[in-house]
Amino acid sequence: MSEFAEPIAKLIDEFKRLPGIGHKSAQRLAFHILRTTSEDVERLAAALRDVKERITFCSTCHNMTDVDPCRYCTNPNRDQKLLCVVEEAHNLLAVERTGEYRGLYHVLHGALSPMRGIGPDDLKIRSLLERLRTLEVEEIILATNPTTEGEATANYVGRLLKPLGIKVTRIAMGLPVGSDLEYADEVTMHKAMTYRHEI
Amino acid sequence: MNLALLEASGFRNLSGSLSGQPGLNFLWGQNGQGKTSWLEAIAILGSTKSFRTHHLSETVTFGGQAAHLTAEVHRRSRVEKLEIHLEGSQKHLFINSKRVSVGDFLGHLDSFLYSREEMAIVRGEPGERRRFMDRGVLSLKPGYVQILADYNRTLKQKNALLKTVGEDGTRPPQFNDLLDVWNVQMVEHGTAIHRARTEYVNQLNQVLDARLFGNETVTVRYQSSLEGRGDLANYAKLITERLQVRREAEIAAGHALIGPHRDDLEILADGKDVAKFGSSGQQRSALLVLELAQLNLYHRHFDEYPLFLLDDIDAELDRDRIRTLLDHLEGQVQVFVTTSKKTLAEEYTGRAALSQIVSGQALTAVLIEN
Ligand SMILES: [Zn+2]
Repeated sequence: MSEFAEPIAKLIDEFKRLPGIGHKSAQRLAFHILRTTSEDVERLAAALRDVKERITFCSTCHNMTDVDPCRYCTNPNRDQKLLCVVEEAHNLLAVERTGEYRGLYHVLHGALSPMRGIGPDDLKIRSLLERLRTLEVEEIILATNPTTEGEATANYVGRLLKPLGIKVTRIAMGLPVGSDLEYADEVTMHKAMTYRHEI
Repeated sequence: MNLALLEASGFRNLSGSLSGQPGLNFLWGQNGQGKTSWLEAIAILGSTKSFRTHHLSETVTFGGQAAHLTAEVHRRSRVEKLEIHLEGSQKHLFINSKRVSVGDFLGHLDSFLYSREEMAIVRGEPGERRRFMDRGVLSLKPGYVQILADYNRTLKQKNALLKTVGEDGTRPPQFNDLLDVWNVQMVEHGTAIHRARTEYVNQLNQVLDARLFGNETVTVRYQSSLEGRGDLANYAKLITERLQVRREAEIAAGHALIGPHRDDLEILADGKDVAKFGSSGQQRSALLVLELAQLNLYHRHFDEYPLFLLDDIDAELDRDRIRTLLDHLEGQVQVFVTTSKKTLAEEYTGRAALSQIVSGQALTAVLIEN
């Protein structure tokens, strides 16, 4: 196999570093870029730069945002008595898509996993406890993924919250076990939120 | 269920097709001609897994690009076409030419296998018998796969946590809370596994034909590693207590000591452990009795029999046992038997479909024409 010209080889290498992109897909993407107009390429490059420059994580709830604090944290119409804890920002969107939940959020940025060396200090757990000192929350909904890691995380956070005297619930009903909230359809997710139980 | 036709291309050294009849099917041929590969193809079409390798890509003919297996399966009045296409690390599954997921593909051509390797169930490590029970539970309750996965994942995570304890016994921050959290799931999933396996073993005892091959009575007994430590009927409470009592021991050992991953199955002939006290003939009989009991349970559950695959039957069993076994199965279960002994196949002329396997090809009715 002859080598590609250096700029193409470099682009292929960059694509290959993206999740889910193998060598073949990386090649296809690189050749696609090569065929598109300069304007299209400029727009793509600008979008990449923009997302890095303008999107940050909310310093309060750790959700993805372009303003800090984020719109969920500052919206006065959201129910300040409810707080939903999720693993990742995309899980927040899954809950939000149900259209039923109007409370606040907290994104942990992961789940406990001794195998991957992820402990409580690697998650946004301490900042959750700090938030609760000033918030008047009446119920905390633990919406971590229904995996063993998500269960362990919910259980761990639940134990920390118990002494605070706040009602702690765990979503459960209807979620396909071992799956990711991202893939739960809206109906399932809606049921999961409605039939959450206290832990 | 019955396999009527099996076609193979690009799979090991096989080519062409093998036709099956309800009842007994003999695959006769010299060693290395591909008899076992035909059985392997049947097993893969049923389970998407091989009993010879963990990597399906190894079954693609050496130097080839892809393998394709097609089965025509008759189930009651329905005919189904099952296909597997293997290419690189990919496997594509089809039912009646429609692409389906693994979950939908399973259950259309279930089979049980008896081979030389299966003797490890009787003679081998407890892990072999745990796998035997788990496979049995899975054949009746496919959802059990999730319980097993959750338990194994929890076990790995717990072991990883226990390994964070330093040589001098220093524990990372929040260690005790974290251990509690993983133990909660050890209890939950461990209890589910204990319940599923004990139920399965009880059912096996109910249906096994205990004296099929001789005078000894074959029975099985689930042997929990928590036996003698309290009330097994309330397993969740018992394992919770044991995890508490053995907590420091688990921390010192650096891995989990409590749970159904340490359990075993006792296989008994006249009440005695057949692995320790049985002759090799008695061990083979006991194993066959268990395999047949698995077929019966499957039948009781689904109202149809799975296929039974017997690999290299005469290397494993004497003629008397073979006759008893095949007589017992005949007319109920579709059986595929491989043998290198022509005389054995000849004995079943007229009663069985016979294929001679030469260089991977199945040539039909060679002996029946005599
Ligand atoms: Zn926020």
